[in-house]
Amino acid sequence: MTDIRKPSSLLTSTISRRNALKGLGAAAAIGTAPGFVRYAQAQSSAPIKIGFQAHRTGIGAAYGRWYERTTAAAVKAINDAGGINGRPVEIITEDDGTDAARGAEVVEKFANQHRTDIVYGTLFSHVVVGSAPAAGELKIPYYVVSEGYHVASGKMNRYVLQPGITDVRAQCRSVAPWITSNVGKKITMIYPDYAFGHDHRDFFGPAAAEQGGEVVAQIPIPPTESSFTRYFPQIPADTDVIYHVMVGPAVLTFVKELGEFYGGSGPKLFGFIDSLEAVNINSPGLEFLEGSHFWEGMPRYLQEDATDAEKAYREAVGLDETGASVNDANDVSTAAHMFGCWETLHIIKDAMEAADYRGPEDRAKLIEATEAMTEFPEGPAHPQGAKVFNGKIHQVFGSQSISVVENGRLNVVHRTSIEDGMYEPEADYTTQPL
Amino acid sequence: MFGLAGPALFPAEALAHAADRGHVLLLPTGYYLLGGAAAVALTFLALAFMPPSLLEGLARVRLAIGSVPTRLRMVTSAATFLLLIGLVTAGILGSRDPLSNPLPLVFWTVFWIGLTLLQGVVGNLWWWINPLYAPWRALTGLTGHREGFVPMPDRLGYWPAVALFFGFAWFELVYLAPDDPARLATVVTIYFSANLVAALAFGYEEWTRRGECLSVFLGMIARLAIVEGSKVESGRRRIALCLPGAKLVSAEPLPPSGTLFLLLALSTVSFDGLMRTFLWLGLFGVNPLEFPGRSAVTGISSFGLLATFVVLGAAFHAAVALGERLAGASESISSAAGALVWSIIPISMAYHFSHYLTSFVINGQYALAALSDPLMSGADLFGTAGMHVQAGMLMGAERAWLVWNLQAAAIVGGHLLAVLVAHAVAFRLYGSADAATRSQVPLAVLMVLYTVFGLWLLSSPTAA
Repeated sequence: MTDIRKPSSLLTSTISRRNALKGLGAAAAIGTAPGFVRYAQAQSSAPIKIGFQAHRTGIGAAYGRWYERTTAAAVKAINDAGGINGRPVEIITEDDGTDAARGAEVVEKFANQHRTDIVYGTLFSHVVVGSAPAAGELKIPYYVVSEGYHVASGKMNRYVLQPGITDVRAQCRSVAPWITSNVGKKITMIYPDYAFGHDHRDFFGPAAAEQGGEVVAQIPIPPTESSFTRYFPQIPADTDVIYHVMVGPAVLTFVKELGEFYGGSGPKLFGFIDSLEAVNINSPGLEFLEGSHFWEGMPRYLQEDATDAEKAYREAVGLDETGASVNDANDVSTAAHMFGCWETLHIIKDAMEAADYRGPEDRAKLIEATEAMTEFPEGPAHPQGAKVFNGKIHQVFGSQSISVVENGRLNVVHRTSIEDGMYEPEADYTTQPL
Repeated sequence: MFGLAGPALFPAEALAHAADRGHVLLLPTGYYLLGGAAAVALTFLALAFMPPSLLEGLARVRLAIGSVPTRLRMVTSAATFLLLIGLVTAGILGSRDPLSNPLPLVFWTVFWIGLTLLQGVVGNLWWWINPLYAPWRALTGLTGHREGFVPMPDRLGYWPAVALFFGFAWFELVYLAPDDPARLATVVTIYFSANLVAALAFGYEEWTRRGECLSVFLGMIARLAIVEGSKVESGRRRIALCLPGAKLVSAEPLPPSGTLFLLLALSTVSFDGLMRTFLWLGLFGVNPLEFPGRSAVTGISSFGLLATFVVLGAAFHAAVALGERLAGASESISSAAGALVWSIIPISMAYHFSHYLTSFVINGQYALAALSDPLMSGADLFGTAGMHVQAGMLMGAERAWLVWNLQAAAIVGGHLLAVLVAHAVAFRLYGSADAATRSQVPLAVLMVLYTVFGLWLLSSPTAA
């Protein structure tokens, strides 16, 4: 494995994606690596085959690139440490085109053609929703990294799990206590007028009310809108804080126009970094964000109190201090989400080892072993922090970061507790037959 | 089906990307639209005061630089043919990831984007490297039918090329997985074999001139180039330099099917831009912030691909017809259109450049890596297998500014050249400067509109 570190060179990389993901070649190469002794002791050294349902083309491609990079780093870490049950991990990547129908096709290909042990790695909700029935019918475990509430809602099936990233409902709930006690109680919500925005409206509003806050106005913005000034007069004058979750190419315009509308004063701002994931926070037009707060799934900028595990994770993935690629300072990562790939792969490893997983005939055992998991301690496998897993709803809960934009950096000012994001489960997958 | 039902039934996170186009939305692109339109309109006005003989003279300038033996063609074509076999093999046996497998990267990025642009600058390289040539030569060596078994009927015109190109564009823009290595390998194999059979039946030169759509397109695009190759004379082709677009002025007028072919080519790349815009998706009630994927818009995109062609074709022919009337000419509309349609080649190139620039820069890097390790076996043939793809090359506000300016310059430049070419062609058609100018007013208006449309496509919010 070539691991030359010369960030300035075009031809080198901290982790070479082709080496980490090359599949059988990697498994063969491992035979000569130091970890070989451990593999040799395993009963079978055939690789564990993980089907990576990747957004390589289509609307999700920008995120897919970083999901792939994190996946490559995690697989390398797992293989360097002896693989799963002494067997090397092989990743087989199929592009789903960020398309629901293609997603289902890809799951079928993994199950019937590539005969992978599991399917993993999907980000976009509509692809998860489109692929889940195929995973259920083919009885192939499907580990998603999508942050949607669809898994916890009970609308998927027993073969769909989300153990590596929290869902949007928990995220909204967990920031509510901090906002109401630190930023303000009178909240105006500005959100895009479709499912994503509605999730925030429906999940954050009640959570804020529980904390004594009040949503004084809800301003839905049509998804195709690209100019926003005419909506701002709807913001009540007594608003303490504007909760904004705009997404898409017009986000920069939104922030710029909001800044022009208030001219340096106005209510405080609280946003979700989803709006600006992979976008440099110092981009022109974003000046108005200085001093405002953001939810972050995991801090983009290296924090002073970063744990050793977090530092090791960042190094393995190849992130610089600002959360951009060490090879390419313009290439800002999707830091708030992609850690979920790292953690999910480590959970798959633990669950497979707990189930003594031998092959596809043990898939049901693997589901049960995953469902039986309850706690993930902070550490190299879980650099984002400790988590609690609810096997009934197949969903993990964890802490969130709240960061302030200061001198063009995102600095974490608060870490929510795991309990802040907990809610009453609405489903129980374990009652479904395997 | 899930794609349509999903977002309505389930909560969804939205990760529509804010970057790149977001930075462009903050730029004063409105001024570029105005400026571009003004530049094209003023150029047209300036032409009215310029002696047409000047343009004619410029178009005739040639600088001979030597000659090349054509026997090399067999070697270059055989090399490309072997490369194609290698790529198709990799498509079947290599990685399933379209960004790690060399077939989709070489086909869509190196060939379709890269070679097209190169043809437009340095001339008909494709004539030398067309992988169809060597196997055809080898097979005709066996059959002895160098001219084919039957002459390609004249009434077929360019229709085979029109039909094939529509299929090609549909596969590229509408089909669910054009990048899937195995499917692309199948499609390429079928396309190649069928065209080889057609070349054997009708003769290679005739079929690649009017039938096989990629050769037809690349051959036409090459007329924009600053290099001109002569016809083959005693085993050599003489090579000369000329001004960009000069070869278009003297091109033979196209029959109606040829005119439609060129209009189709421009309309498909225009639709490639249009189909991603918020405006287009909004028209059909598709939420661009949670774009459901191609499977949910197959019908809409198929319709759009055809509709863009119909609208552009109708607008072009209407402009030519109106011009005929203004010039008081007796030429038939279709023969005037067949001469004037050459003027849209620079626009086609400009669209090709500006729409595929970013994809070329990023996927070109993936292609370099994939070619070095074509089967994902750990090989490193060219030392580039482990290279890090610099996606950041085009990210951030500064790069977005640079990309936008390059795109805008190409669009405006392409239309300016188109106006010049159209004027020179019109002078040949109508014989007097006055008639040429009058005949060109409607086409100039269309070109101003298309400039604005082109710049708008590149500056309006898009879903992907």
